[in-house]
This record gives sequence, C-alpha cells and structure tokens, in this order.
Amino acid sequence: MANTDVIVTESITKVYGGNGVPVEALRGVDLTIQSGEFTALVGPSGSGKTTLLNIISGLDTPTEGKVWLSGKLLSGMSGNELSDFRRDNIGFIFQAYNLIPVLTVEENVEYIMLLQRVSKAERHGRVAAMLEEVGLAGFADRNPPQLSGGQQQRVAIARAMVSEPAIVLADEPTANLDSRTGADLLDMMSHLNVQTNMTFVFSTHDPMVMERARRLITLKDGQVESDEIK
Amino acid sequence: MTLKIAFRNIFRQKRRTILTALAMIVGFTLSSVFIGWSDGAYSDIIAMFTQNRIGHIQVHRGDYLDKPSLYKTIAGYESIGATIGNVEGVEAWTPRVYSAGLGSVSEKSTTVQIIGVDVAREVEATRFDREIIDGKVISAQPAREAVLGKGLARNLSAAIGDELVIVSQGADGSIANELYKIVGIAESGDDITDRMACYLHIVDAQELLVLEGRSHEIVVIVSNINRVHKITKGIKTALDDSTLDVAPWQVVAKDFYRAMQADKQGDAIGRIIIMLIVAIGVLNTVLMSVLERTSEYGVLKAVGTKPRQIFWLVVCEVLIIALGSIVVGAGLGTAGNYLLSIYGITMPQEFTYGGIKFQTMYAEVNVRSLIIPAITVILSSGIVSIFPALKAARILPARAMRAH
Repeated sequence: MANTDVIVTESITKVYGGNGVPVEALRGVDLTIQSGEFTALVGPSGSGKTTLLNIISGLDTPTEGKVWLSGKLLSGMSGNELSDFRRDNIGFIFQAYNLIPVLTVEENVEYIMLLQRVSKAERHGRVAAMLEEVGLAGFADRNPPQLSGGQQQRVAIARAMVSEPAIVLADEPTANLDSRTGADLLDMMSHLNVQTNMTFVFSTHDPMVMERARRLITLKDGQVESDEIK
Repeated sequence: MTLKIAFRNIFRQKRRTILTALAMIVGFTLSSVFIGWSDGAYSDIIAMFTQNRIGHIQVHRGDYLDKPSLYKTIAGYESIGATIGNVEGVEAWTPRVYSAGLGSVSEKSTTVQIIGVDVAREVEATRFDREIIDGKVISAQPAREAVLGKGLARNLSAAIGDELVIVSQGADGSIANELYKIVGIAESGDDITDRMACYLHIVDAQELLVLEGRSHEIVVIVSNINRVHKITKGIKTALDDSTLDVAPWQVVAKDFYRAMQADKQGDAIGRIIIMLIVAIGVLNTVLMSVLERTSEYGVLKAVGTKPRQIFWLVVCEVLIIALGSIVVGAGLGTAGNYLLSIYGITMPQEFTYGGIKFQTMYAEVNVRSLIIPAITVILSSGIVSIFPALKAARILPARAMRAH
C-alpha cells in the first residue's frame, strides 16, 4: 500500500438477505484510490455503487473483504472508533441532502467541528468562510426547510468540507437538482478539490459528473467492469 | 449541542410532545393527590388515635405495656411529670390509673375498666371534655363522680344522676368498693373502649385501689408528632431511670401501627400501577418518535456522532418533557390537595379504622406528595427511554438512511 493510497478495498463482497433470498450487491471488488483523486463510480441502478460507497465509509459492513482508509483497517474498529474516524476523515454529501432539520444552516455546518471540540472562535471563522465559499453567506440563520434543493446541497457540501476531511464521499449529489444548479455545484467541488487536494469519490449516473471526473470506475452486477483514468 | 437538538426536537413535534407530557402530567397529578389524600387521612387517623386516646408517648414502670399489673406503678408521678414537661417539644402530660372492676347500677352489673384521670391535665392533653356527649366532665376536685363510656352506660341502663357501685381489688389485697355519682356519658369514637370505660378522678381511683401518690401511666402530648422519636429520647435522657419504660405511640399501639404501614404499602402498589400505565404510554410515543427519525439518527451517526451521544439525545428529550410535566403536575397536584384539604371527600357511610370512626377524609399539602411523584416520573421516563435510546444508538447508518 503506497503512502498516497487513501482508499483500498480488497475482495469486497456484500450479500443482502432480503426476504430469505440472498442478493449479491458486490462481488469481490478490489479498488485503490489515491489522495486528491476526483473519481466517479458509475454504472446502472443496482450495480452496487451506493453499497460500495457505504462500505468504503464504514456506514455499512462488507460480508467479506477488507477496507483500508488512510491506512486504517475499518473492520478492526469499534462503533465509537468508527464514529471518530468518520468525523475526522470523511465528509459526506447525500442525494437527499440529509441536513439536520432542527439546526440552522450555520449550526449544520458547525456540527462536526463541535463534535471535534474545535474552539468557538475557530468554528465561527471556518463556518463563515465555508458559507462564503458555497455562496450562502446570508443564509446562516435559515433552517433547511426554508432553502431550495440546490441551497440545501450547498449546505451539505459546506458541512462535508468545513472540517477539511481527507476524503469526501458523495452519493448521487446532483440527482435531485436541476442541471444548472448541479453543474454549479460540481464546478465548486472540482475547484475545492484542486484547491485543497481532498479526495472526492462520487457515486453517480449523471453525465455532468462523469464529464468532470478524472477517473471513472464502472460497476456492473457488483463487479468493476472498467477503470478509466482520463 | 445535544441539549439544543433535544429542545428543538421537542418543539418540532408539538402534538406528540403534548401527548407525552399529558400522560406524565396526569400520572404526576394522580399520584400527588393519591399521596396527599392518603397522608391527610392517615394524619387524621393518627391524630385522633393519639391525641384523643393513647397520647404520643407513654411512660410506664418496667414491662407494664406488655404485662399490665396493678402493682407496676410510677411513684412520685407529679415530679416525673414535671421533668417530662420541661423536655423540649413536650406540650402536655397527664397521669392515669388503670384497673378492672365490677360496676353496678341498680340491678345491672358488668365488668368495667377503671380509668383514673387528672381531669385538668386530661382536658389539656387529650381534650377529654370534648368526648362528653351527655352531662358534664368530672369535677376538678375529687368528688366521687364518674363518667361512663356510651356503651357501658347503655349496658348498665345508666343515666346522669344514677349511682354506680364499683367493686375491685386494692393494691393492699383488700376488697375495694365505693359508690360514685354518674355525671357524664363519654364517646371516645372507639366502641370497644366505650363499652367498658369508667372514668374517675385520679384521687378517687387511687383511694379505691389503695394507690395513693401512684399512677400506672403518664401520657405525653408533643407539639410535633413527626419529632416523636427524638422527643422520646429526650424524655429518656431527662428521666435517667432504667426502671421506667418510655415508648412512642408506634410502640404503644404496635398492631395499629403495623396495620397502617401495611395499608400504606398497599397505596404504594396503587401508585406503581398509575406510573406503569403512564410509562407504557410514554414508551409508545418515544418509540414512535425514534422510528420516525430513524433516517436522522443515521445521518447523525454517519457524520461522526457517537452512539452514546445519540443515546443521550433521546434520553434528554424524554427527560426535558418529564421536567416540564413535573412543573405543571406539581401545580395541579398542589391545587388538588389544597382543595381536598379544605373540602375533603365525604364517604357515603361512616367507616372505622383502628377503632376510630370516620366519614370525611381530608388531604394534606406536603413535600412528599411532590417529591415521590417527581422521582417516579423522572425514573419511569428515564427507564422507558432507555430502550428507544438504545435502538437509536445502535442504528446502522446505511440501513437507517435507506429508511428515509
């Protein structure tokens, strides 16, 4: 494993036992993603993109196989260790935004830093800068339901990136957005990737994402069908 | 932040919060009124049982309480009584002489319990004069007058002004007999006592029984019944006489006290049932809330919230509602107990407890009626929130977010 390898998977298999009929979502996926990559996992529905993303992030456990993130083996971690690891190393962007509805925009972005016990002054400074970056400087006191889908996804991006994680995992981040908003957000993430050298991994069907990604990993029936570096 | 989220979640689902709080408020109020009313009723029973009859503390010679005897007497009871009267918390004391005898009025005879009382002290201590339902109380100076219990007067077909002959045994072994004029009929509220009680002036009783300057019992009334054990100790220390037995009312009336304690335990079971019903209601609403927010808990875990932080988030929400409910419940419970302490609840029929007749039961406003329901609500809410909180804390983020 090279020092620059931030995500390494080895023979990942995931079998769901829904209704007594086992379904193989992933079948022996081996993958290595290096620091600073802007990678898209693509493939048809049911190909295993989201499942792979969940397993890479420790949100789900593989039936077989191993995952290393920044050199750490996830399967050896306890629930608390996994929480801490995700908090400090991974930023998430979800298709449904998944903001905490009872917190304001500012509090949503600030939340992870609170868990990290970052000082109040630093938190406020970083939140203000991040909201400025995503174009929501005047929206700090709004609640998520008061924002449009695009604005909520910008908040989600700000939340994912404000603590400067090594990896940002985005599951269909543009699926609920119109093409213009989606393109804007992708440009923003691409810019942040270049600026900060964070690793971005997308799971997507969206041609706009595929167009901007510098590496395309195509999944089919739970296996890597192709791996193309542009 | 956990508290902030908990607070906001409470106001987010107002209807559910109101439902949960209502269950807690009703449980608290019922429990509070239940305690206030039963405490009030027990206080009344104890007050009547002690103040009007046995007193709060009794002093006897040796084991008189377990094995009464004409010969187990307290000599110099006046000076002993004076010492007792100086003990802090003692309000009044009164000596009594007891014996059994045969009482006759005209041609009717029956066994009587001779009770020699110091009229002035007895009136001050036990309000003996209030028990007189016909005639008058015995004169303050010995005048060979007698007051009969209502039942005894009925059994002897005695009326005010009749002559009563008492035959008994003197402490010197002689046959004691004397003639007394019936001046009053008394009703203590205890039918058994009233069927046998024959009250004489203590000096007359001492003369009859050849017990000059002696009594069998000193009854003590204290200013605060809750301090009775402490005052009992104070009297023991002041008397410093190992031949004298100083006992609080709980020892004097062991059977009555035990019956009351058993009754109180029965009340506790009633309170537990109320809180159990409340707890099931709260568990249901909290579980619903957790299930509805499964996806949110998944997100919180995904971004790095620890399982224990999610656990406390759920518990905090329940406890915040519980605290609010306690404040409202305390207001309602106190108001309920206050009204019941004034108007009481009148039973359709008179009932007897410990030989004392009651018809109206009054509540009591006390700290216990707030503390016990408060602890019960906090504990039961805390306990029922554990299961939903564990469920939320153990959620697998990926599966939870799929539930969205």
